Amino acid sequence: MFEKTLQDLVKGIRAHKRDPSAFISQSIAEIKLELRSVDPFIKAQAVRKLTYLQMIGYDMSWAAFSVIEVMTSARFGHKRVGYLAANQTFTEETDVILLTTNHLKKEFNSGNQYDIGLAINCLANIATPDLSRDLLGDVSALLTHQRSYVRKKALLVMYKLFINYPQGLRLCFDRIRDRLDDTDSGVVSCAVNIICELADKNPRNYLALAPRFFRLLTTSSNNWMLIKVVKLLGSLVPEEPRLARKLLEPLATIIQNTAAKSLLYECIHTVTLALPFTKKEDGSESRAVPVVVKLCADNLRNFIQDPDQNLKYLGLVGYVNLMQSHPRAVAESRELVLACLTDDDVTIRTRALELLTGMVTKRTLEELVVQLLKHVVAAEGAYREDLIAKIVLMCSRDKYAFLVDFQWYTGALVELARMDHGCRSAATGALLASQLIDVALRVESVRAFAVEAMAGLLLESMGGSSVNLNSNLTEVLLAAAWIVGEYGAHVGKIRGVRGGSGVDSGWAR
Amino acid sequence: MIKAVVIVNNHGKPRLVKFYKTVTDEDAQQSVIRRIFQQVAQRPDNFCNYLEGSIPEWGEGTKLIYRHYATLYFIFAVDSQESDLGILDLIQVFVEALDKCFENVCELDLIFHSDRVHYVLDEMIMGGMVLETNINAVLSAVNDQSKLHAASMKVQLSTPSAPSVQAVKSIMDGALTRR
Repeated sequence: MFEKTLQDLVKGIRAHKRDPSAFISQSIAEIKLELRSVDPFIKAQAVRKLTYLQMIGYDMSWAAFSVIEVMTSARFGHKRVGYLAANQTFTEETDVILLTTNHLKKEFNSGNQYDIGLAINCLANIATPDLSRDLLGDVSALLTHQRSYVRKKALLVMYKLFINYPQGLRLCFDRIRDRLDDTDSGVVSCAVNIICELADKNPRNYLALAPRFFRLLTTSSNNWMLIKVVKLLGSLVPEEPRLARKLLEPLATIIQNTAAKSLLYECIHTVTLALPFTKKEDGSESRAVPVVVKLCADNLRNFIQDPDQNLKYLGLVGYVNLMQSHPRAVAESRELVLACLTDDDVTIRTRALELLTGMVTKRTLEELVVQLLKHVVAAEGAYREDLIAKIVLMCSRDKYAFLVDFQWYTGALVELARMDHGCRSAATGALLASQLIDVALRVESVRAFAVEAMAGLLLESMGGSSVNLNSNLTEVLLAAAWIVGEYGAHVGKIRGVRGGSGVDSGWAR
Repeated sequence: MIKAVVIVNNHGKPRLVKFYKTVTDEDAQQSVIRRIFQQVAQRPDNFCNYLEGSIPEWGEGTKLIYRHYATLYFIFAVDSQESDLGILDLIQVFVEALDKCFENVCELDLIFHSDRVHYVLDEMIMGGMVLETNINAVLSAVNDQSKLHAASMKVQLSTPSAPSVQAVKSIMDGALTRR
């Protein structure tokens, strides 16, 4: 019998480009037969094919037992095939998964580091609470294996085991912590990595290790590890604010000296996270702070001005963080950020918008909104909704703290309601509507203007003009009708009301 | 944490799919792959390589970091514990490693040898965490294992697969026939 290899299967699927499903069904039928074979090569090839089919969407959970058979082969080549299939498809629902426990235990004792590596990798992919509990001890022993290759993998898989079997953490953490003193820097890096993930969930438990990480901060030259150490220390700061001030100097040193932009950015990011915690008890700033703030602001500005779009994006993200504690440092770059609003890239525009929303002041509000209104015309989709929402947020925040001219604002809202095409969002319509009503309610002096504007909108819609009646405008029209009704006293001053002179009580209703 | 590594071509066909954060069934997986592709394919090459919060199955904090090489998109879905620029570098290292393993790698290599691509990835990322970033260390491990793989295929074995597994199978087969 001629069995298809994986290559044959792939070629066949490509040959049936228009409709491969019949060919695939036939192939799966053949695979089912092949899995019954006693020839391990045929079985392994069948599992290889199934793994490929799984990638394009075909379930293979029915073959779990065969996968285990292939996985437990003595041949390294077949083991790999079985492990890959298991890694891709085994879940907690796989009832034969418990059969792997003894096999993995056995493999952990192999004299070949790659056998151990494969077994650990498998566990990292398929770990269940049972497997984790049963194998925790064996994996923990591997943390002191003579090969660094094994120690690294053992460290990382621990995280998965702890997720599934939380009691394991307390039992094994000391052994993980000891790996911070490992002679191999790759192993130390993995230890830092796992502690970083653990600290993200429970920073308090790892505060005691802070001095060790400070030491690593100043002695290591491995950039990947340094990035994780910096992140780790950043997550500890909220738990221990005194750390914040201690961090400023070593981070500033790295910022000034490193050539690696990834590390530079990470340090700036952590500085911005730490800054809010550096205020002293009396509310004043520590002496070191202004220098560090300037250092960060300057570097971030360079990022934003860089032609590399990725750096521009990260610069904006950094500014958003810096703004939380030092808005003035960021406000100096207002023009630069405004320029980013015209970028083609929506990811960049969204960040720039977020930044501008935080940068606004009483003085700058109107000018900024006028600029943004121009952008709304050109925008579309979710970004447009975001723009409109941000405009409203800026104006209405803190009970309209930044708004001086309510009549101007009402006009802006009407303009927004009119610009419509393609905006199908009920949420935006409701937002504009609620704002119109809120302003008319609170600000007596604006009511006359509001009524005139609302009547105008209503007349336009009744006149069947080019204004589209979609959900956006419907909400606003409802609000318009309410405003005109509520403040009907002002209607008489409007020209062009149908029904002739004066107020018609029917209309005012 | 890295939640997934996906390689798709310019038409959205998956060439490598690795979920570290489980997506339970094949339909859901294909749906996520499609959504990733749609987001990424919209962006011209001069846009930045970051897409935020666009895959609902993974929630708000997930970012897609990607690189476009000729006919392939390499996409890493990550959370905030990963370094944005670092991951971009890592994708580069991954591609270089593939290049060395396949000798001037192209899409056809990935199509016909998707399992070998997994073997390379497994030396760099495990369980969603970065294991090794140094390309020489990665290649050394990959090459050693390729040699073991090739050697094992030539060997004649006297014993078949583990006896305990066979024993369970015969029990299960027996139970099935008795029913």
